[in-house]
Amino acid sequence: MSAAERTGSDREVMLSVENITLSFGAVRAIRDVSFDILKGEIRAIIGPNGAGKTSMLNVINGFYHPQQGQILFRGAVRRQMRPHEAAAGGIARTFQNVALFKGMTTLDNIMTGRNLKMKSWRTSLLPAMIYYGPTQREEIANREHVERVIDFLEIEAIRKVPVGRLPYGLQKRVELGRALAAEPDLLLLDEPMAGMNLEEKQDMCRFVLDVNDEFGTTIALIEHDMGVVMDLSDRVVVLDHGEKIADGTPDEVKNDQNVIDAYLGVSH
Amino acid sequence: MNEPRHGQADTFPKLLLENARIRGSRPAYRQKYLGIWQTHTWQEAADIAREIGLGLASLGMKRGDKVALIGQNTTLMYISFDAIQSVGGIPVPLYADSVAEEMTYVLDHAGVRFAVCQDQEQIDKIETMRDRVPQIEHLVYEEHKGMRRYEQPDMHSIDALREAGREFDRANPGFFDEQVALGTGSELAIIVYTSGTTGNPKGVMLSYDALCRSARLARDLEGLGENEEVLAYLPLAWVGDHFISHAQHHVTGFTVNCPESPDTLVADLRDIGPTLFIAPPAIFENFLTQIGIRIADAARIKQALYNRAIALARRVGEPILNGEAVGLVDRLMYRFYEFCIYGPLKNTLGFSRTTVAYTGGAPLGEEVFSFYRSIGVNLKQLYGQTESCAYVCLQRNGDARLDTVGPPAPEVEVRITEAGELLYRSPGNFLGYYRNDEATSETLDADGWVHTGDAGILTDSGHVKIIDRAKDVGTMTDGTVFAPQYIENKLKFYPFIREAVAHGTGRDYATAFINIDLEAVGNFAEREGLGYSGYMDLSQQDQVYDLIQGNIEEVNRDLARDSTLASSQIRRFLILHKELDADDGELTRTRKLRRRIIGDRYNDLIEALYSNRDHIQVNSRVTFEDGRVGEFNADVKIRNVATAPAGSS
Amino acid sequence: MMDFIDLVVFGPILDMAEYPAFFLEVVFGGLMSGVMYSLVALGFVLIFKASGVFNFAQGVFALFAALTLVGLMTGTVPFSLDKALPELPAWVAIVLTLLVMVLLAIAVERIMLRPLVNQDQIIMFMSTIGLAFVLEGLGDTIWGSEVKALDVGIPTGFFMLGEIQIQVFDLVAAAVATILVVVLALFFQWTRTGRALRAVADDHQAALSVGIPLKNIWIIVWSVAGLVALVAGIMWGSKSGVQFSLSLIALKALPVLILGGFTSVPGAIVGGLIIGVGEKVAEVYWGPLVNGAIENWFAYVVALVFLLFRPQGLFGEKIIERV
Repeated sequence: MSAAERTGSDREVMLSVENITLSFGAVRAIRDVSFDILKGEIRAIIGPNGAGKTSMLNVINGFYHPQQGQILFRGAVRRQMRPHEAAAGGIARTFQNVALFKGMTTLDNIMTGRNLKMKSWRTSLLPAMIYYGPTQREEIANREHVERVIDFLEIEAIRKVPVGRLPYGLQKRVELGRALAAEPDLLLLDEPMAGMNLEEKQDMCRFVLDVNDEFGTTIALIEHDMGVVMDLSDRVVVLDHGEKIADGTPDEVKNDQNVIDAYLGVSH
Repeated sequence: MNEPRHGQADTFPKLLLENARIRGSRPAYRQKYLGIWQTHTWQEAADIAREIGLGLASLGMKRGDKVALIGQNTTLMYISFDAIQSVGGIPVPLYADSVAEEMTYVLDHAGVRFAVCQDQEQIDKIETMRDRVPQIEHLVYEEHKGMRRYEQPDMHSIDALREAGREFDRANPGFFDEQVALGTGSELAIIVYTSGTTGNPKGVMLSYDALCRSARLARDLEGLGENEEVLAYLPLAWVGDHFISHAQHHVTGFTVNCPESPDTLVADLRDIGPTLFIAPPAIFENFLTQIGIRIADAARIKQALYNRAIALARRVGEPILNGEAVGLVDRLMYRFYEFCIYGPLKNTLGFSRTTVAYTGGAPLGEEVFSFYRSIGVNLKQLYGQTESCAYVCLQRNGDARLDTVGPPAPEVEVRITEAGELLYRSPGNFLGYYRNDEATSETLDADGWVHTGDAGILTDSGHVKIIDRAKDVGTMTDGTVFAPQYIENKLKFYPFIREAVAHGTGRDYATAFINIDLEAVGNFAEREGLGYSGYMDLSQQDQVYDLIQGNIEEVNRDLARDSTLASSQIRRFLILHKELDADDGELTRTRKLRRRIIGDRYNDLIEALYSNRDHIQVNSRVTFEDGRVGEFNADVKIRNVATAPAGSS
Repeated sequence: MMDFIDLVVFGPILDMAEYPAFFLEVVFGGLMSGVMYSLVALGFVLIFKASGVFNFAQGVFALFAALTLVGLMTGTVPFSLDKALPELPAWVAIVLTLLVMVLLAIAVERIMLRPLVNQDQIIMFMSTIGLAFVLEGLGDTIWGSEVKALDVGIPTGFFMLGEIQIQVFDLVAAAVATILVVVLALFFQWTRTGRALRAVADDHQAALSVGIPLKNIWIIVWSVAGLVALVAGIMWGSKSGVQFSLSLIALKALPVLILGGFTSVPGAIVGGLIIGVGEKVAEVYWGPLVNGAIENWFAYVVALVFLLFRPQGLFGEKIIERV
């Protein structure tokens, strides 16, 4: 299937950001940016360094609160999100520099991704210790899901290894696993292939496509490798100096003069 | 139905049905999936084989059709062998890690019509080459992951195939049993392509009789029974795995365990604790390296205890294993260490229950061999070829020696030609090379003798000793013998050295390429606080060179002891900037050196070793699994090494 | 020279060998104070692991918990020293005190941690020093500063095991401490809250992204630390009375942590026991040679030696940086 076929215009909007402006003191990281993410698509956010890509992700999952604009997520309008509310709403993410729990094993890391799927964790302090039976059943069900993620990402061999000891490429994979464990509807990937060698990149590309394919997960990703972006994404939004300069299919964006200028560093 | 008498079944499908009848509820296969070992009984295996076999028949498979099997070791892949054979097909297993190019040759040469692939990766490889192997009609895949976008009508999931098989069975009730009964022992059972160190792979044709008789002889010799546990982790396309996990499995009725993934060998071994274990020397070496690393990291008191235990084991362990007389005190101490060191060690490695461990394919380092035997693992060497259904010579219990590969196996005849080449005639003799009469007539003579191409001698005690591939042994300019493999094996014993390539034939002195062991040296670097970004960076660090230089100097001292080998001492070496890799054609899939290719590709480096330069700039190419090629540059250092005077110690 | 070695090395050792029963009693005594050190150190480790904060106020937590407990049991009216309220039975008072400690944890999270989130470790550390002073002052103001007796009904008395005299109280204390440690270990390792706690300790941002709300985790951790402090306070207070010097055992916990490693629960326990036994033995057998008071500095010397030769402690994670 071509990207165009897969992104019909009648597709439901999963999330849209509208007129977002974000400043840190005098620095304007994002200026009046709007775009939407359709259900089931792979949406790439690209742009030169300092374009505001990561800030955009941070706005979407609630780490940053924009001064202006709003986020429309599953039809509900939000001025701002809180991180754990975003997570509870079905948004999972990975980070540019892997943010794993380094002292914990791969298995435990991915299990934390199940945190929200476990019932009422606030009261889990006692039940987990006292009501062994039901808690145990819940733990087993969650464990099975986590094992499926482990199987999916082919990381059986490192199940019991503390992630701090893993090479970078595998850490990124574990981080993806933790995000997948939450069974997200929207997956935010911040440079999932940064710092990887060619083979690792190919593996990661395959996993991203498979996730999108198998689970129908909507994916928004930031990526520098243009080859990867062109191969993976259905639609691309381009940011430069905090402003949106293009939005469209990979082919449209590739030939856009603004984009070419931005990447070549031509001043306006 | 005309059932063969018990124990007389002459094909694997018949054996499968027999096993389903007499041990139907015993486990035939286990596979770890989602972290849990999932069992298939003999009855279930037979039922699934029936479904898959009939599924293939429903796609139009005829007797004599070649069916490729490509993937990791999984229960369904093994059952597929039976499925194919039961409806008269010929399985052609391929190495799962071969690149698309290599695969194409075999698929085309064997005239494969159907391919059973384990996952999308294999499907993709075939798809990219599909136009070059147009005779392939149908592809079957076991694992669904990543297959959602494939909608071609000629691709079938194994579940769909089984459903089709059940359908076919309802429409043609007697068909399956008829087809199984049609098979006879003298027929072609499988074509195994040998990777070969030169030229294109050759398709070795093996009959049911050859496989079954060899398996029965080995079973009786080793006293194997249905309670054996085997871990099937070696490539499906390697004859040794096929011999044990299919032939021996069917003949003996034991359990074959499939690992969770190719990377989980160590954990799976520990889970299963196989009673029968076969591995190339590299695996045994690798385990020993791992132990070395762990001990180096352990507390000093543990190190001391370990060293004492191993010292005792080296002295008395092997005599105890061989059932020789040993002093009471030593025996008691050995018991004590068995309890606190050897036992836990064997348990960690998964060797607690191992009654027989085989290795072969390449010479084993003395240290490695005696280490395992001394802690009570009955490690034995065998010598064999694809052409002989795996074995020619087997070491017997209590008579395992390092320097020979044992006496000829039961009912195997061996002789040495005047030119020194080893010939054998065995019940496991192959039928010939598929579509390669020229090669067949070169190897298999009219009297049934198979020419091995190995230089060997027969010792007075009737053991066979393999010296080398005859063509690899050379002489140096001073006329002394230069046996590169001998030196390489000595070097590779050191945990920091993963591969070594020794040069010296036609030269004044010997030199070597080294591949460091990334894990072992990485650990060393951590302890020393060295930073590094990857293999290339680590390999060129001065401290790493110091480390390797120390190892080589030890080898030199060792070589110097023997006057004929003293001139083979390594004078200069370099650490290669990349790991030798089968994907780049530098090693065979079984990790043997391809000397000619290495010699051509690294000619500049070899010449530099015979100049007086202390470093050389190289650029090198690597091939990725999908066939793409990348290039990079590196500056490789060269070091001189001290040699010892001949005859010194 | 020989005389000196005789005096310093052989003399004390001969003493030990001559009266083994006495020696064992000294060791038991040391173990007892070791348990106390361990409990306080444990509180440090828990908070350090979960929030990366070195909580200087942990000792004062123990003091404050013990003061509150005594106050409730004796029916003291806060801020007045009047004993006008009904005296509460020990278990009710313990539950109420625990509640107070949880409230304290919530207050700490609200007032101290939340405004300071993502600040440097040193700033967090300073704020816990402030917290220590505030709590000490608060304890004084609310409950009064005189030494108070605490009796929650732990049996006293002793029995003889061979020639060795064993205090029942010591055994109870050791048992309670053991149970506490086992429960905490299970909690940390096997419950999802425990997993969340470890996750937060490792990486705040990542924890947030998987939907773990930081503030609840902090409240739990500080509450657990409050519980540990309460247990330590009860034990110490029952033994030697509730007095303000109790907060000083926090200072002893520091060498224990250096010995055991800042992030290791077993390290805190073993470290505490080693320091406890070590300083008692040193005091009794070598004390006379230097006119006593070894107990006051022994722990710090051991800590210094460890800092020189094994900075990560007995059980701490070896610090390896991959480039």
